[in-house]
Amino acid sequence: MRWVIDHSSRELLQHQIASCVRQDVASGELTVGEQLPPAVELAEALSVDRNTVLAAYRQLRDEGLLEFRRGRGARVASAVTEPAPVTEAARALVAVARRHGLGRSELIRLIEELT
Amino acid sequence: MASAFAGRGRYSIYTGRVTNWPMVVLSVVPMAPLLVMGGSSNENWRGFVVPLLVAAAVGLVNALTGSSVRTAAGPNGISVRFGPLGWPRCTYGLEQVERAEVIDLHPWYVAFGFWWTPRRTYCTVRSGPTLQLTLRTGRTVTVTVPDARAAVMAIHEAQSA
Repeated sequence: MRWVIDHSSRELLQHQIASCVRQDVASGELTVGEQLPPAVELAEALSVDRNTVLAAYRQLRDEGLLEFRRGRGARVASAVTEPAPVTEAARALVAVARRHGLGRSELIRLIEELT
Repeated sequence: MASAFAGRGRYSIYTGRVTNWPMVVLSVVPMAPLLVMGGSSNENWRGFVVPLLVAAAVGLVNALTGSSVRTAAGPNGISVRFGPLGWPRCTYGLEQVERAEVIDLHPWYVAFGFWWTPRRTYCTVRSGPTLQLTLRTGRTVTVTVPDARAAVMAIHEAQSA
């Protein structure tokens, strides 16, 4: 599995790590049941703090993408249905809309007009 | 966190894990005749218990050190860890690696588990496309990874950065 993160990026490192997992699950490179590297080892290879990796894993667990089992590490729990780039773009869109004071209904209306 | 390239920005690394449980089972199966002989040759319970303990120890050592191999390769070098405990562990800095390439490991030449000779180190659990590092000392390190080409690409990218 390939992990690409940019320490100089403004995006949080834990979000970048989570994006790598989402993309690989969406592309099928990571399948359900597959085990992710232990947080300590991944943190060492990426030169980030172990807690940053753990935060990314927890974020993915909260999204239902990963599951933690005692003694078995983090495993892929489900395959996402939406392609990762679309999810990422949607997140960015929601963030921009919030910054400009656009509410949920306005945003949905805008998307409906465009699609 | 120690890092040779801290603050440089972009980190592109490869991680992979390969597990070979059938090989662990196969390594314990040859112990069965020993258990049978131990049980039949001596009516004393020790005749059975001692071979059983030996077989259990062999199986445990195989499961812990030869069942799986985890690899991480990138700007911080190449680390190879065995089994669920991550030991034995080998780490090679990028400056130690002269060449990284993909070789096709024939089933006859697979040294299952962790093996060390004066000129070679094997961290292999299966045949097929395999990562091979040639160190500047002349030693070759052969490592089983799920996608050997991706591992080589990550190493080349890190070396050229």
